[in-house]
Amino acid sequence: MRAYLNTISNPWRVFDELMGDFPFDLFDTALRVRAGRFPRVNVWESEDGLAVQAEVAGVDPEKLDVVIDANVLTIKGEREQADGGRTEFQRSFNLPFELEDSKIKAAVKNGLLTVTIPRKAAEKRKIAIEKL
Amino acid sequence: MSLMKRSEQNVQKVNRVELTPVSRVQEGEEAYTLTVELPGVSEKEIELTLENKVLSITAENTLETFKDYTLVLNELPEVRYRAAFDLPEHVDTDSIKAAHKNGLLILTLPKREEVKPRRIAITAG
Repeated sequence: MRAYLNTISNPWRVFDELMGDFPFDLFDTALRVRAGRFPRVNVWESEDGLAVQAEVAGVDPEKLDVVIDANVLTIKGEREQADGGRTEFQRSFNLPFELEDSKIKAAVKNGLLTVTIPRKAAEKRKIAIEKL
Repeated sequence: MSLMKRSEQNVQKVNRVELTPVSRVQEGEEAYTLTVELPGVSEKEIELTLENKVLSITAENTLETFKDYTLVLNELPEVRYRAAFDLPEHVDTDSIKAAHKNGLLILTLPKREEVKPRRIAITAG
């Protein structure tokens, strides 16, 4: 797993950092997935940008929030339980590039959330060299 | 060629991990409500069968693949959900209802008339 996709605002981050490359992160993710506080995701990357798919079964799309702030993508929401109780879940990712804010899209279908985030086209400028 | 394709598809199906979906049952006065979490499963991929008071659910999820993208973080497996529920004798199997919403399959299992709670009027003597 690449470093930039590590989930942030993770209370175990210090441990993760100490453990370095050891896949403790997998273990950590698995634990929180079990508790229902952490949606599982598939992340796809290309030249054009990122696509994130998250499992949000049983979540009312109105209670689902997708926020992008300073290159951090946060997916959070509220899952209603059978007994009327609620579980909140949240997961954040560091994004590896500058994004095109206006073209971010999010859609929910059959309990799967898909967020597509296009990369901002890099502005290439040639700098003229003055002859002195 | 088509045979080849079909066998490839079969292999893919066999390779799916089988999982028991998360489910819960609630008892109401009139009916039981059975909720099964099936994220990423579309309606037509859900198979519901009832045989000898055993309600079976089989479903397969569909994950989107993005063309020209590479998968960099993979936590969602392609799975086949499978679950079977032994229905109690007093469930009226003819009027079971199923709904599909937000990745949840919600089944309403009405109780037979004779087991529903009834208020008995008291006549003044």
